[in-house]
Amino acid sequence: MRALSSLLLLVALPVALSVKTQDFKTCSQASFCRRGRALASRAQENVSSWKSPYSVDADSLAISSDQALFTARVKSSLYPDIKFGLDVRVHDDGVVRVRLDEIDGLRKRYDEAASWALVAEPKISQDIKWTVGKNEVRATHGKKKDVEVIVAFEPLKVTLLRGGKEQVVLNGRGLLHMEHFRTKLAAQPSDIPEEALDAEDAQTVLSANNPRSWFEGDSEDGYWDEQWLSWTDSKPKGPESLSLDITFPNHGHVYGIPQHATSLSLRTTTGESPYYTDPYRLYNADTFEYLADSTMSLYGSIPLMHAHSADSTVAVFNAVGSETWIDIAHPTPKSTETQWISESGILDVFIIPGPTPEAVFEQYARLTGAQALPADWSLGYHQCRWNYVNSDDVRQVQAKFDEEDIPVDVFWLDIEYAEEHKYFIWDKKNFPDPLDMVNDVSANARKMVVIIDPHLKRTSSYPVYQEAVDNGVLVKTKDGNEYEGWCWSGSSAWVDFFNPTSWDWWKGLFKTYPIEGKFTWVDSTEDVHIWNDMNEPAIFNGPEISMPRDNIHHGGWEHRDVHNINGMLFSNLTSQAVMARSDPPKRPFVLTRSFYAGSQRFGAMWTGDNLGSWEHMAVGIKMVLANSLSGFAFSGSDVGGFFGNPEPEMLVRWYQVGAFSPFFRAHAHIDTKRREPYLLDEPYKSIVKDILRLRYSMLPIWYTTFREASVRGIPVVRPHYVVIPHDEKGFAIDDQFWVGGSGLLVKPVTEKGVTETTVYLPAEDQVYYDYFTHQAYRSAPKGKNITVPAALHQVPLFIRGGSILPTRERPRRSSPLMKKDPFTLRVALDKSGNARGELYLDDGVTYNHREGQIVWREFKASKAGKGIKLSSHDLVRAKPTDAVDGVALASYNPTNDFAKSIAGVRVEKVVVLGLEKKPTSVKVAGGKEVTFEFIPGVAASGKKEGVSSVLIIKDPAVSVVTDWEIVVS
Amino acid sequence: MVPWVLLLLPLSAFSAVDKTHGVPPSLLASYVPTKDGSQEIWTCIDGSKVIPWSAVNDDYCDCPDGSDEPGTGACPNTRFYCRNEGHIGAFIPSSRVRDGLCEPACCDGSDEEPGVCPNKCKEIGEAYRVKQAAERKLRKTGSKIRSSYIAFAQKEKKRIEGEIASLENEIVSREKEVARLKDIADHAESLSATALEQKKQSPLYQSLLAHHRALKSLQCEHKKHLEREKSLGDILDRLRTGYNPNYQDMAVLEAVRGWEFHAGLPHINDVKKDDEPSTEDESETGKDEEEELEPGMWTPQQLEHQLDELLDQDYESLLLEHDKHVGATEHSDSLLYNLSAYVPEPLLPQFEAFQNALVSWLELLGIVKPSKSDAADDSRAKKAYNDADHSLKLTRDELTKAKEDLSRLFDSNWYGKDGEWKKLDGTCLEKDTGDYTYEVCLFDEARQKPNKGGSTFSLGRFAHWNNGPGVEVGSPEYYSKQFYIHGTKCWNGPQRSVVLELECGTENALHTIAELEKCEYKITGTTPALCLPPDEPEKPREEL
Repeated sequence: MRALSSLLLLVALPVALSVKTQDFKTCSQASFCRRGRALASRAQENVSSWKSPYSVDADSLAISSDQALFTARVKSSLYPDIKFGLDVRVHDDGVVRVRLDEIDGLRKRYDEAASWALVAEPKISQDIKWTVGKNEVRATHGKKKDVEVIVAFEPLKVTLLRGGKEQVVLNGRGLLHMEHFRTKLAAQPSDIPEEALDAEDAQTVLSANNPRSWFEGDSEDGYWDEQWLSWTDSKPKGPESLSLDITFPNHGHVYGIPQHATSLSLRTTTGESPYYTDPYRLYNADTFEYLADSTMSLYGSIPLMHAHSADSTVAVFNAVGSETWIDIAHPTPKSTETQWISESGILDVFIIPGPTPEAVFEQYARLTGAQALPADWSLGYHQCRWNYVNSDDVRQVQAKFDEEDIPVDVFWLDIEYAEEHKYFIWDKKNFPDPLDMVNDVSANARKMVVIIDPHLKRTSSYPVYQEAVDNGVLVKTKDGNEYEGWCWSGSSAWVDFFNPTSWDWWKGLFKTYPIEGKFTWVDSTEDVHIWNDMNEPAIFNGPEISMPRDNIHHGGWEHRDVHNINGMLFSNLTSQAVMARSDPPKRPFVLTRSFYAGSQRFGAMWTGDNLGSWEHMAVGIKMVLANSLSGFAFSGSDVGGFFGNPEPEMLVRWYQVGAFSPFFRAHAHIDTKRREPYLLDEPYKSIVKDILRLRYSMLPIWYTTFREASVRGIPVVRPHYVVIPHDEKGFAIDDQFWVGGSGLLVKPVTEKGVTETTVYLPAEDQVYYDYFTHQAYRSAPKGKNITVPAALHQVPLFIRGGSILPTRERPRRSSPLMKKDPFTLRVALDKSGNARGELYLDDGVTYNHREGQIVWREFKASKAGKGIKLSSHDLVRAKPTDAVDGVALASYNPTNDFAKSIAGVRVEKVVVLGLEKKPTSVKVAGGKEVTFEFIPGVAASGKKEGVSSVLIIKDPAVSVVTDWEIVVS
Repeated sequence: MVPWVLLLLPLSAFSAVDKTHGVPPSLLASYVPTKDGSQEIWTCIDGSKVIPWSAVNDDYCDCPDGSDEPGTGACPNTRFYCRNEGHIGAFIPSSRVRDGLCEPACCDGSDEEPGVCPNKCKEIGEAYRVKQAAERKLRKTGSKIRSSYIAFAQKEKKRIEGEIASLENEIVSREKEVARLKDIADHAESLSATALEQKKQSPLYQSLLAHHRALKSLQCEHKKHLEREKSLGDILDRLRTGYNPNYQDMAVLEAVRGWEFHAGLPHINDVKKDDEPSTEDESETGKDEEEELEPGMWTPQQLEHQLDELLDQDYESLLLEHDKHVGATEHSDSLLYNLSAYVPEPLLPQFEAFQNALVSWLELLGIVKPSKSDAADDSRAKKAYNDADHSLKLTRDELTKAKEDLSRLFDSNWYGKDGEWKKLDGTCLEKDTGDYTYEVCLFDEARQKPNKGGSTFSLGRFAHWNNGPGVEVGSPEYYSKQFYIHGTKCWNGPQRSVVLELECGTENALHTIAELEKCEYKITGTTPALCLPPDEPEKPREEL
C-alpha cells in the first residue's frame, strides 16, 4: 500500500511542482552524498562480512583522573598512516559527547560548529569514572545507575544503554567514515563534469585491485572540483566528508532535524520501500515556493533528532555546520537506523539520554540554550505585507483595525521601505516621516518590525556598506577579493559575522541616537524591532540560490564549513544589537528565516515563503511542531500563505491555525490582493475578529507557557507523544497538539468544506471539556476518537480535566493595553475533582524578571469536604531556582515592585466546570460570601457525556498577586 | 502544605464609579433604580435580566446586552459616552475604556480612572473651533469656485441647447437635401443599372474586388500584428528593466538578451538600469529603417497613411472612369465642372453639392447638356448623394453627442445635479513622483508617464463615481471617488486601474499616488467641485 501511494506521489509530482527543483541538488547530484550512500549500499550488500575499518588504539587511552572524559587514538585499517583522535566525555546531566577529528592531517577540519551552537561549555561530570576493559571502556551513570556508555575498541562503536537496553548506537553498522585530507595527484583526471555523465560513470576508476575498494569504492567520485549547472565548486581541500550511522535499536519513531515540509514522525528514505527517495537534507536555502511534502532542505537546519518509544525517549545532536544528508529506515517498526552524511567538519555528536521527552528537552536546552523569553507584545498578532507602501498606508491600516476594533500589536514593513533596498535608509519619497509614523503606531501601545536583510548594496554612498568595507568585514571569494552577488539590492556584498570585528560595528548601527563619525539608525525608535530575511544567505545568482561553497570566512574557513550556521550569526548579532540599543536593555524581537541549533536564544522564526494552499496550511502545523521539538519554540507560518490569494474560508481557517501558533503573523506577497482582516466580508470578518480576540484573551496562557520554555526548554506547542509519552497511538499524530502544559488541546481544521472533524483523545481515563460549549467528552485508557463540530467559526479546542486556565477576556486594541485588566479563571475539574494551573507575569519587556520582578502563581482546585477549595499559591517561593531563565533567584520578595504595580489586578470571574452539585455557598476565606450562578450539567466524575455543569463565581475580588482561598461548599 | 498568606485587599476596583458614568444623555433616564422591597434593582436595557442596582458600573458584566457597565469597559462590544464639556460629546468603544491610554476623542479624560487623563476639552475645543473655522473658510473659498463651475454648467446648458437647436435645423435641411439627391441618384442609377451590372462582370473589376478584400484583410491582420508586437515589446521592455538577475534563470536571461539583440538595445546589466539609452544605440536602431525598398514599393509610412485611402476608393466610379479611358478620349472641360479647382478647399464639399445641384438644374432647363456618359453621371449623382448622406450622419452624431452632453450635464451619475463637474471634463491634472508623472484627465483617462523614457501606460478610463455599498448617488461621499478602469494590462497582473479620491480644496490638484496592490493605484487630490457651501449642515459629530 505504501509502495502504491509513493508511486502515486511520483506520478502526481510533475504537475504539483512549484519549486524550481532543478535549482536544488538531490543526493545523487552532490558527490559526497553519493559517496556516503554508496558506502551504505556496499555495507548492505556485504552485511555478513562488513566490519568498520575504524578502531581504537587501546594503548593510547587517556582517562582524566577527576572527570568523565577520555581521549584515545583511532586508526583506520584503510589508511594506517592517518591518525584520528577520539574524545568522549559525559556531562553532568548524562549527555555523552563523542568527538573524532583527524590529527596532524594535511589540513584542519572545521571544529567550531559546536562553539556557535552551545550556550556555554558544558560541565563534565565529576562523579562518573570510566572502567577500562580488554575490548572496551565503559561508564555507568544516572540516578539509578542504569545508564551505561560503552565505547568498543574494534571496531569503534559507541553504545548508550539504559537498563541493559540499547538506546543509541554510533557506528553500529560500520558506516563511519572520515575522509582524511590528501594531496591531489596531478596525474589523476578529476575535472570530469558530473552532469555530463551518469553518477556511476563520473567516477575516476582506480586500479582494479585497490585494497580499499570494498569500503571506499572503486573510484574517486567527485573528490576535487565539482560542477553544478553553471557553477564550479573549486574544492581546494579535496574530499573531507563525514559519514556516520546512528541507530536507535528500540525506538520506532524519530522526530526533528528541521526544517522540512513533512510529517512530524519522520518517514523513511531508505530500506524497504522507502516513502521518500532522497535523504532529508540540511542545507539552508531559499527554496522559493517549496513543496508541502518533501525532504528538500529549507531555510534552516537543526541537526537534532529525537527517538521515541513508549518507555524511552533519547536524542542525538550532531553539531555539524556543513551540508548534511540524513537517511532514515525502520528495519522493524520498533527500531530506526539513520545515516548522517556531511560535507565537512569533525564528528561532534551529543547523545542525549532522556529518558522522557521532557528530560530530553531539558538536556538539549542545557547544551544550546532555551528559547529566549519573548517580549510579551510579540505574542500578539502581527500584521505584515510586502509591502505597506508608504507611511500613510501604515497609518490607514492601523486606523482600519481600530475602526473595526480588531486587536493587533505589530505592523511590519518589508523591503520596499528602504531606498534601493539599502536597509536602514528610508525611501523618503514614500516614507518622508518615519519617526512620526512609528510614533503614531506607538501611540496605541503598538510596535513596528522593519526588515534588515544581510545583503548590502555595493555603493559607496551607502554608509553601511562603506563602513563594512572600511572595517574589512565582508565575505571574500576563494581568491581573497570582496564577494559580489545579486540580491534585492542588485550588486551586493555580505558581512562575515564569523569575524568578531563585525560584531560591535553591527550592534552600533542600531543605536537610535547619533554617534560622531558612524552611521546609526537615528530614523528609528526603540519601538522598531527587526526582521532578518534572506540570511541562508539567499543570493539570486549563486549556486542553489546561495553562496559559493569555496567563499572564505574569517579564519580562512570555507563557506561550506559554516553554511548552516551562517544565518544564525546574523540574527544573533541583530538580536544583541536591538537589546543593546537601550539602557537598561530591553528584550529584542528579531524574526529570522534561517536558523541553526542555538537560534532559539535570539528570537523567533517563521516557516518562510509558503503557498496559500490547504496543504501548506496543514504542513505548517507539522513544521512548527518539528521546530518546537528542536528547541526553537517561537515559531509560526505566514497566515494566509505568502503566495496566492486565499479564498475567505481558507483565510479564516488559517487564522485559526495562526491563533494557536507561538508566533502569529499574517503576511502576503506583493502580487497578492490585500487581505487584512477588516477587508473580509461578513461572516468571515466577525469570525476572524473573534479568533483574534480569543488569541488575545489567552495571552496569559501563552506567556506562562513561554516562561517554561525559556527556563526548561519544553516546547510551547507540544505534540501528543510529549504530553502522553506512553500512548503509542499518539506517536505519529501531528495535526492536533497541546498549548504548553496548560491542558489545552487544539485541532485546527486545515481542509475545505469541513463541518465536523475527528479528534483523538489520548489513552487515559480523563474528562475533556469543549472550551466554548463546555461539552464533556470522556477519553479511554486505550485512546479514543471523537467526532466534534467544526464549522467555519469553530476551532476544536478542549480543556483536559484537571487544568486551570487564566485568561483576560476584555478585548483591547493591543496587548500592552490589557496589563491592568482583571483575570478569568477556568477551572476544569478532573475525575477526582482536582485541577491546577499556572500564571506567570512580569513587565514583559525588560530583564527585570531576572532580578525577581515577577509574579508566578499556581492555582489549585481540590476536594474539601463535600465541596471544593480554590486557592492561589506563590510558585516562586516554591521553586526559586526554576522561576526565570538564566538565573536562580536567590532572594525573592513577593511584594516586589512589579507585583506591587499590579496588586490591583484581580480575578474578576471564576468558572468551574464539572462540579457535581449546586453549591450552597461560595466564600472567600477570611472574607465574605460571593455571588455565584450555577448551571446544572454533567459532573467531572462519572461516565456521562453532555454539557458539563458550570459554576460562575462573580467577582471574588481576590488579587492576582496574593495567596487566597475560595471555598465552594 | 505551603502556608499561605491572606492579603485581602478591597479589590472592587471601581467602587466609586458613578452609576451613570459613560451613559449618553439620551439614555440617562434608563439609569435609575427601582425598588423591589428593600432592595434597589435595575433591569438590563434589553429587559433580559434584573440585577441589583449595585451591579451597575461595578466593573463586572452581568447583562447579556452589556448595558450594566456603561462606564467601566467590563462588557465587550458596548459604547462609552464622554461628555467632553466645553467641546462635543463623543462615543468610544468599550475596548478603549480604562486601557491606560487617554483617548483623544474623550478630551475630558473620563475614559480612564480619575486623575489619569487631564481634561483638555477647553484647548481641544478651541483648536477644534479654529480648525473648523479654517475648514469653513476653505470651504467658502472653494464653494465660490464651485459656484462658478455651476454657472459654467448653466452657460454650457445654453450653449449646448443652442447647438442642439441649430443642429436640429441643419438636420432638417440636410434631410431634405439628401432626399432630393437620392431621387436624382436613384433616377440615374435606374438608367445605368443594367449597363453597370454588365460592366461589373469584367474580370478586371472582379479581380479588383478580390484584391480589395485581400488587401483589407491583410491590413486588418497587419494592424493586429502591430498591436501585438507593441504589447509584446512593452512586456519585454518591462521584463528587461524590471527582471531580477534572479536565480540565474537562464530562460529569463535568454529572453532579455534576445530582445535586446532584436531591438538593438544594450544589455541592461552593462549599463545602469536607469540610464537613458545612449545615442550610439539610437544610431544602431536607426540602421533597421534604412532597409532598401524596391522601386515603387510603399514605405511603412505610406502603408500606414495611404492604404486606407486606397481602400476607400469607389470602385464603381473607377469602373466607369476606366470605360472612359478605354473608350472616348475627348473631354469637355467646361468651366463649370472645372471650377472646383479654384474653390478653396474648406468650401469644396458645399461647392460640389452646389455644383451638382446647379448642373442638374441647368440640365433640366436644357441649358447644359447632360454629360455624354450616363455612367459617369450616375456615379457623380451617387457620390453627391453619399456625401450628403454622410454629412447628415455626422450632423446627427453631433446632435446625439450634444444631447448626451446635455443629459449628462445635470445627471447625478455624471456631472452632478448642479453640473458642478462639467467644468472639469477633460481637465488634466499631473503629479510628478520622481520616477513617473501621473496624469489624470478627469472623466477621460489616467496615465503613468515615465520620466526617464519608456512607454506611457494607460491606468484606465473613467468608469463611474463611488458606487460602493451604501453610498447614495449624488451624495458628497459619492463624488469623493472616481474609478478609472481597464488600463493597460500588467504582464503578470490585472489591467491597471485607479481610484481617485477627492476632497474639497481650492485647487484642482493631485496630492498622493500609491500603488496599494500590484497595478491598482490610489490617487488622492483636491477640487473645489467638492466644496459645498459651509451653511449646508455637515453630519453632526454626535453620530460618531
